[in-house]
Amino acid sequence: MVANGCLAVRGVRGWMLVWVILVKRALKRISCGVSGSGFRVCRWGMSGRRSGSSMMPLKSLIREFQEMKGGRGGISRRSFELKFPHHHKGRSSGMVLDESQLRVEAVVKQSCWANMPPELLRDVIQRVEASESAWPGRKHVVACAAVCSSWREITKELVRTPEQSGRLTFPIALKQPGPRESTVQCFIKRDRTSSTYQLYLGLPPSLVENGKFLLAARKFRRAASTDYIISLNQEDISRGSNTYVGKLRSNFLGTKFTIYDSQPSHNGVAASNRGAWRMGTKQLSSRVHSGSYNVAHIAYELNVLGTRGPRRMQCTLHSIPACAMESGGSAPTPTELAAGSLEEVHVPYSSIMSSPRSKAAVVDSSALESSEFVSGLLNKEEPLVLRNKAPRWHEQLQCWCLNFRGRVTVASVKNFQLVAATSVKAVSAAATTSSSSADHDKVLLQFGKIGKDMFTMDYRYPLSAFQAFAICLSSFDTKLACE
Amino acid sequence: MHFQGSPNMAEKRVKLISSDNDEFEVDEAVAFESETLRNMIQDTGTNVPISIPNVSSDILAKVLEYCSYHAETMETHDDKPPITDAQIREWDADFVDVHPATLYSLILAANYLNIKNLLDLICQAVANNIRGKTAVEIRKILHIQDDFTYEEEMEIRRETKWAFD
Repeated sequence: MVANGCLAVRGVRGWMLVWVILVKRALKRISCGVSGSGFRVCRWGMSGRRSGSSMMPLKSLIREFQEMKGGRGGISRRSFELKFPHHHKGRSSGMVLDESQLRVEAVVKQSCWANMPPELLRDVIQRVEASESAWPGRKHVVACAAVCSSWREITKELVRTPEQSGRLTFPIALKQPGPRESTVQCFIKRDRTSSTYQLYLGLPPSLVENGKFLLAARKFRRAASTDYIISLNQEDISRGSNTYVGKLRSNFLGTKFTIYDSQPSHNGVAASNRGAWRMGTKQLSSRVHSGSYNVAHIAYELNVLGTRGPRRMQCTLHSIPACAMESGGSAPTPTELAAGSLEEVHVPYSSIMSSPRSKAAVVDSSALESSEFVSGLLNKEEPLVLRNKAPRWHEQLQCWCLNFRGRVTVASVKNFQLVAATSVKAVSAAATTSSSSADHDKVLLQFGKIGKDMFTMDYRYPLSAFQAFAICLSSFDTKLACE
Repeated sequence: MHFQGSPNMAEKRVKLISSDNDEFEVDEAVAFESETLRNMIQDTGTNVPISIPNVSSDILAKVLEYCSYHAETMETHDDKPPITDAQIREWDADFVDVHPATLYSLILAANYLNIKNLLDLICQAVANNIRGKTAVEIRKILHIQDDFTYEEEMEIRRETKWAFD
């Protein structure tokens, strides 16, 4: 390996510095030179005559070095380098070279920190995860997941869903159901000039510091409908962007809305996938690709009297089974955000299903072909239906009132509270007999005005931030026939 | 017979041999800081030197430095004031203020030797070092190569943009 009698010196500036102990004999053969990077580089000059005796410490050095690297290969024995970045300092501060530790630089393929035993890496990342419970500190957890694949795997494994932890960490959390026992408090900022809406986590900025940006939406008027495109990036709100997460589409009157998710949830959803339609093929794909999945319908009841009375809304969530609200029930929880590229739209065959309730849904051809399969699943699962709580007429104040628990301060026709519709029957049946109605009465989504262009949005299980935001956007839309 | 507090135990010395065949001799109480060594000593006694094949002498020296300090903090002397928790914390902080490569060797050694307090100390030190840094900065400090596929890279970019917005 050292046939030429000299070890070339080459290394990478920076961090790959490993301390090793060198024995006296080895150090006698160090001669110093100055490298191009400005560091002093010591080369191991060995005459052929003496190479025999100098081989031993060198071999042991390499062996030791490899042991420190956890036995991983990738160290080039032909090019081996020693660097003394603080060479001059070392001497002046009384460091005795023959006993001191010297920094060795070498080129390795992957750091020991990437190949750390998983239980140790888990221990380290767990500590970061546990200490950063709120935004903006939460971003440091996201940073850990962007280091390398082993770190990503462990970080993703450690971070629990919003339902389990009440925390939002990765963008996928926006598509996962919220916590069961508490609400996620958010606020929405409206910008009338740009027709955009921004969803933030936290309390409104006038009270404390800025919240964490979650989602942005922009209103696009079309000939017969209005689209609200929802994105992860407030600077890039478009259907073609890889930050597109879904959209809300209204009918002409603004009385009926459909929420389209860019990805399927685990339960049955109606798919209108133009990519798959165009290609006419049913391609199986393990990765989740961006498409258009009809996940919910929102209907505002026509107000024939034309008065400014309270609205009545009903929201049918095709992606969430009604049994999600029963004890032991669960709501679909996607684990991976759809890849954003529209060129590669392939909907997994198994996820293509149509819903008999969604008459307006554009159904993929492949879904029609598999109608038997579809109906089998749908018989089993009733979709969850939400209704707004009817406000009470307050005689003294001469207005409609709802208890928003201090989260809503401005009276508005847009304000609403949604509860599970199935519970309405349950409540009325149970109202006279027991007091267990409190649980059924749980407000799953609350939306209301607190300022000219500022609104609060509180949601909980089984809704996700994305679904809650889309439902709130429907309340913003002007309802020609309702008011 | 094998518990730490007994008076004649304090006299006992244990010989440890590092991976590069350096011999270390420590009090049994020091070795007992390590759960692994405690088990070995209980099995074989203190007469036979214990070889530690995957810990090099420089790292073993550091580990034993930690163990002896902490074994010492457990002892009470009438003439000396007891070591305060604040002093221990300061000592510990200095102890882990080393190069990442040394820290990595220490973490493996602490794991192998099963010294829970040392492992906790190092894991916390690493966590403190990486917290507040971007992925690029963490990679740089620990010299980790980015090994993501193109798809993962795109996903991470979107995720990072969202998180750091």
